[in-house]
Amino acid sequence: MNEQDDYHVPPTESVYECEYCGRPFAREEWRALHRGIEHADGLDDEEVEQFREAYGDEGESLRLFRLKALGVLVVLYFCLLMIYAVV
Amino acid sequence: MLRRRVVATVALVVAVVGRASAHGGSLAEGVREPLTIPTWLFLSTGGAAVGASFLLASFVTDRSLIGAIHDWRRSVPVPARRALVGVARALGIAGLVVVVVAGYFGPDEPRANAAILLVWVGWWAGLSMSAYLLGDSWAVLNPWRTVADLLPSLDLRYPDRFGAWPSVLGLLGLVFLEVVSPLAENASLLATTVLAYTVVTLLGAVLVGPDTWFGQVDPPARVFRYYGRVAPITADEDGLHLRLPGTALSERRLVDGRDEVAFVVALLWVTTFDGFVATPAWGDVARPLVRAGLPPLATYLLGMLVGFALFSSIYFLAAELARRSADTFLTPAALAERFAPPLLAIVAGYHLAHYLDYFLGLAPALAEALVAPLATREAILTLPIPGWFGGVSLASIIVGHLLAIWVAHAAAYDLFPGRLQAIRSQYPFIAVMVVYTMTSLWVVSQPDAPLPFL
Repeated sequence: MNEQDDYHVPPTESVYECEYCGRPFAREEWRALHRGIEHADGLDDEEVEQFREAYGDEGESLRLFRLKALGVLVVLYFCLLMIYAVV
Repeated sequence: MLRRRVVATVALVVAVVGRASAHGGSLAEGVREPLTIPTWLFLSTGGAAVGASFLLASFVTDRSLIGAIHDWRRSVPVPARRALVGVARALGIAGLVVVVVAGYFGPDEPRANAAILLVWVGWWAGLSMSAYLLGDSWAVLNPWRTVADLLPSLDLRYPDRFGAWPSVLGLLGLVFLEVVSPLAENASLLATTVLAYTVVTLLGAVLVGPDTWFGQVDPPARVFRYYGRVAPITADEDGLHLRLPGTALSERRLVDGRDEVAFVVALLWVTTFDGFVATPAWGDVARPLVRAGLPPLATYLLGMLVGFALFSSIYFLAAELARRSADTFLTPAALAERFAPPLLAIVAGYHLAHYLDYFLGLAPALAEALVAPLATREAILTLPIPGWFGGVSLASIIVGHLLAIWVAHAAAYDLFPGRLQAIRSQYPFIAVMVVYTMTSLWVVSQPDAPLPFL
């Protein structure tokens, strides 16, 4: 299998292709992130700005995810603790 | 079959080897202990531990940290490499000769027979362990490879579409044979099987060439190569290369194509199947089928194939779901390839859980048998294994899972530009790992039942 076979883009979907390697992404901010990670050296100022913006936005949702994950961990821990106390 | 039943009665006396080694890849024996908590709680705790470790791993979102851990390498040159390889090859050939000669002319008692000890304790338990703990040495030791390299080759074209499928069938076939036949008690049967394997292997290597045969078709070569990917050491012409254990599993193209994914899932499944046939639940499934007229062997085969189909479809379903949860244009097949290698860490954990005490207990017997392969013995030298060793077994299952979760995490970060996207892509695979863990823990928690109809 080569790199191209790994991707399948349904014709109806909107797609954002990386101008450097042709990789397709479903969201514009993922393309911006991809460019910053894989092609950091060749980017122009606008692309760098897009990367920074996407990275910052993602950081916020990541913080929310971490809070949720921590919540789940705490609930899981106490549930098991209770069950072990009863059984 | 009749022989098996007689052997089973005898095996109750010779419990350790007879039963344990009767199931090659089983995870049952070593860990099977009476539980002090209800089974459902034991299973949920195991499942929760896997889920919780995924959540903990998801806190690590720093690409450069993940990259630094996975890119750490050291290289050490090996002096006199050619000589060492030559010695290893000679040892491999000597081992094969011992198995055949001791198989036919050695003592009948399985725990004193060098053939049985060398194959099950030395090779299947010990060498496998060294393959995932240190590095794959089978690539050099493999006596059939050494002989095949000396033979002329017709170099017929191996059809590309066959890929790894013959090795998937071969693995299922070998484990099926090992479950339904007394290969672990009957040394001459073992020697005959080894000779039959020798004929098939050398014929195949002559037809398509040793590189293709051992690279694509031969199941043990593939098993050891895959185990070796969990290990920290790899060797080539330049010497030894060190990495952190398991970190090689996150690499691209380590498992390539649906056929190789199927082999990884098959390896996981046969490990489970081996333990499953010794649970009372298997008897409850098998007895009505045999009573309805299905031959016992066909029942075992059916059980094995249905379970494999189930394990594979769950895995490929997870790949499809991962494509949706990550909202990516990567195909499910590409995702399935990328998330298959972590399963190898889980398989290694189970293998260690089952075989470490078995290997350590019988290692003295193996050493003694190798010194004088044809001598009969009054007493068999074993190492007594203390009770707390069961904890080491459970710990190795847990470590295998932790490693798998970490590697899947690193692979996701390599695959997806979005950090949250990388976390989301893992949800279905983590669910699958929870299911696999609970299945295996369930097998471990079941009482040991004799194999029905064999």
